[in-house]
Amino acid sequence: MRTLTLAAILLWMMANPPYDRQREEMVRTQIAARGVSHAATLRAMRTVPRHLFVPPAWTDAAYNDHPLPIGYGQTISQPYIVAYMTELVKPQRGQRVLEIGTGSGYQAAVLAEIVDTVYTIEIITELAQQASQRLAALGYKNIVVRNADGYYGWAEKGPFDAIVVTAAAEHIPPPLVAQLKDGGVMVIPVGTPFLVQMLTLVEKRGEAYTTRSLIPVRFVPLTRGK
Amino acid sequence: MKRLLISAALLSCALVAFQLILMQVFSIVQWYHFAYMVIAVALLGFGVSGTVLALGRSWFLDRASLLLPLLMMLCGLLLTIALPIVQLAPVRFDAYLLFVEGKHVVRLMLTYLVLFLPFLLGALAIGLLFLRYPEAAGKCYAANLLGSGVGGVAGLWMLWLVPAQQATAVVGLLAGGAGILLLSRNEKALWGVGGIGVLITLFFFFSPPTLLPSEYKALSRTLTLPHATVVAERTSPFGLVQVVSSPLLRYAPGLSLAYKGVVPSYDVVFNNGDWFGPIARWRKSDTTSIEDFTTLALPYVIDDRHRVLVLQARTGWFATHALSRGASHVTIVEPHGEVLDLLMHECAALSDSLLLHPAVRVHPLDPRTYLRTDTARFDLILLPLLDAFGGTGGIYALQEQYLLTKEAFEEMWHRLTPGGTISITSYMDQPIRHPLRALTTIAAMLDDAGIVNPKEHLVAIRSWGTVTFVVKKTPLTREEVERVQTFCERMGFDPLLLPTGTPLERNKHNVLYDRSFFGLVDGILTARRKAIIEQYEFRIAPTTDERPYFSQFLRWKSVPHLREMFGGPSLPFLELGSFLIALTLVQIAALALLLVVVPLVRMRVTGVSKGRVFFYFAALGFGYMFIEMLAIQRFVLYLGEPLFAAATVISAMLVFSGIGSAVSTRIVARPAVLRRVTIGVAVLVLVSTVVIHLLMQHTFTLSSPLKFLLACGMIAPCAFVMGIPFPLGMRSFAALHPHAPAWGWGINGCASVIAAPLATLLALEAGFSWVMAAAAAMYVVASAAVKE
Repeated sequence: MRTLTLAAILLWMMANPPYDRQREEMVRTQIAARGVSHAATLRAMRTVPRHLFVPPAWTDAAYNDHPLPIGYGQTISQPYIVAYMTELVKPQRGQRVLEIGTGSGYQAAVLAEIVDTVYTIEIITELAQQASQRLAALGYKNIVVRNADGYYGWAEKGPFDAIVVTAAAEHIPPPLVAQLKDGGVMVIPVGTPFLVQMLTLVEKRGEAYTTRSLIPVRFVPLTRGK
Repeated sequence: MKRLLISAALLSCALVAFQLILMQVFSIVQWYHFAYMVIAVALLGFGVSGTVLALGRSWFLDRASLLLPLLMMLCGLLLTIALPIVQLAPVRFDAYLLFVEGKHVVRLMLTYLVLFLPFLLGALAIGLLFLRYPEAAGKCYAANLLGSGVGGVAGLWMLWLVPAQQATAVVGLLAGGAGILLLSRNEKALWGVGGIGVLITLFFFFSPPTLLPSEYKALSRTLTLPHATVVAERTSPFGLVQVVSSPLLRYAPGLSLAYKGVVPSYDVVFNNGDWFGPIARWRKSDTTSIEDFTTLALPYVIDDRHRVLVLQARTGWFATHALSRGASHVTIVEPHGEVLDLLMHECAALSDSLLLHPAVRVHPLDPRTYLRTDTARFDLILLPLLDAFGGTGGIYALQEQYLLTKEAFEEMWHRLTPGGTISITSYMDQPIRHPLRALTTIAAMLDDAGIVNPKEHLVAIRSWGTVTFVVKKTPLTREEVERVQTFCERMGFDPLLLPTGTPLERNKHNVLYDRSFFGLVDGILTARRKAIIEQYEFRIAPTTDERPYFSQFLRWKSVPHLREMFGGPSLPFLELGSFLIALTLVQIAALALLLVVVPLVRMRVTGVSKGRVFFYFAALGFGYMFIEMLAIQRFVLYLGEPLFAAATVISAMLVFSGIGSAVSTRIVARPAVLRRVTIGVAVLVLVSTVVIHLLMQHTFTLSSPLKFLLACGMIAPCAFVMGIPFPLGMRSFAALHPHAPAWGWGINGCASVIAAPLATLLALEAGFSWVMAAAAAMYVVASAAVKE
């Protein structure tokens, strides 16, 4: 019996590579080591099985330190970028967050580990369907996926505590700005996924807005610190 | 012999035309930099052919009559099938995925190999001619050069007529035809090979492969959007122009967060799969424009602008803004004639016939040509948006941008009405480079214009994504400055530069992480400018016509410091263009060393110094290519059309050098003559540079056809003399050792390939004058390599 059990365990291990270890390693070396310290974000990054959000051909590279293609010219962001953007919007229980550009659904899943509800919009029908099925299969009941043009946001579900835009344009869509709660924040990466990205944070205070150009990032924050 | 020479010319023509077609293909499916890298390796086939011929000299000579047509026919076949092969899934690489997936590096290597083979076979055929008929080296070289010269023009001409993927079959047919021309009636097997080759070529002509662009190119991504369709398409040597219609494409660079409306959607023009510009629409009722909510509105905030000049206007986007702000005359200058033609005819309805508006004048010209040839004055001169949203990673570093040089700003300055302004907007890149270089270039222009206090003439404002500089001919008035301040407050923009004495709160609405930017901006307008330029980690010195590389920011000496600041792996992604050209040079030099120089050096040769042969032919390769690259860069400004300027220079140089080669057969190949000729070339290069510069200055205002003719005339003397040393050297060294011609052919081919990226790097780092000096020095080296 003990032999059988051991064989079953071995078989299971062969069928399921030790992604937990890889995930833990990813958080430790790629995310925490680079300064992300928001406890809920780190916990979410440790929890969400990133390898299930990439195409099968890329499963083994899922926890590598770079973005990966998911088809349709889109990418799943580098783990560090996902964590850094999550930390920037300071997510917490009780919040409603809007995400523009669902892609694989990974960023939505990370947010959903922390906040109450994530509304996410994807313009490419195939990606929206795949993400919706994937998130449902993984048991995420607090994520709502919509196949639409994210430019207009989701006014009926707003205003939002935070908006995470993962597919940036050369202007910040006015409807999104309007759907931010007073005191709400929006984070937008500007740039090409495979090159350098610049993160911009929009903060709403009453009728006034402030933007903050944060550090440029690629695999690590490109700080001018020294 | 006549048939042989015609065949050599046809083959050379096909090989040069194929290079042009490949450039077009790679620009469409990837970045043009990769075309440069791939073609450089492919051209190494010329160098390797020399090694092969030198090592297997007798084998090749014994079978020359069979091999010559066979090599040409196989070359033709490979020219036809190379493109379909590199488009196959197991071979097709994606430039973007090179950074994340090793298999794409392997695929890039496979692409190198596939494209290398036709060049190797073609070069073997031409090299074999030199080997087989050393006494006719001059004629053979003349045929090679004349054919190549015609190939430059033929390649362009083909791209007008057929899409690039179909044109490869035409060049395949040319090369194959060159081989068939050499067949005699009784060579049945070879006739069979030729027949099969022709059938395959015809198949690919009538059923060309579909080009598969990277899915990360702007066009590919756009076409994944719902309802996005290509509504118009045109192909020409300027590129593949496609107009995409989609209700989801919107454009408002750096839009103020104070804007509450919805940004309308536009149709967009793409060139070679890259974003070219949105198609602007204008109706008479339009009195407001989305640009009024961007920093682009700054010049109109300062004052009304009636006569507006839009330089490098692309789709004419800025013209709609000018019209909505009440401009009575809007002049559009854009060199991409195909796009203008499309917007004025086939797609006129998409822009509500903006370019046919009575207040709009369209000039399909290079902006510098327009500035030098027209005499009208303007209240406002608008320059194109610098950089791209999100940055370009420095991929435009190698592009000459004559519109953004100090001299260009001086020409604009003289075309302003007394209260006129020049406006230039840049995206905020990180680390900041584009806005700083724009400012140093403007400041240098103001210095030369005798403006003592530049701050009185300059104003700049910043949104979250853009910064706009406006420079005014007369000092800004207090009312104008107040209008700017009010505008900033209303839009949530931050003033960056205001005349001295104006209170300045710069980091209020759009907070910058890196505040050193403000100190740099202030310093550039003071005596500290020189020190700032020298100390900044990127190159931000004013660009000049001598070094017109506005987007080249990398300083190699700063690399260790940048590595320390940004981390080694990230560094290439800040300045990709510069790193790619360096990578091209390194890979070519390494391959050349491995495949050409080492085998040749290891050969046993008696009777002639290997060093002298090496230096003579290498110096000629470097010298010729340096001058060709320099001439292209110089004539681009004179002729205005980069593409046609390059084709004119290349073709004229090759044709006149071909004539020089033909004439060289009448010259006795003695060492003393060789030395005199090579020194003569060096002197002529130096003299010509001065004479050509003066001639250009005095003939710039002539009509384009006349200028093209004059350009050929200017190139002719130098090119003619430059055609003599190679065949003369071939004959001279062949008399000393039979291996020398093959060896010389290989070395010369290698040096030419290495010289192309080297000349570009030299121009980037030191300027055109140094390229010219290096070219002259190479001919002196060649002279020194000849022994009495």
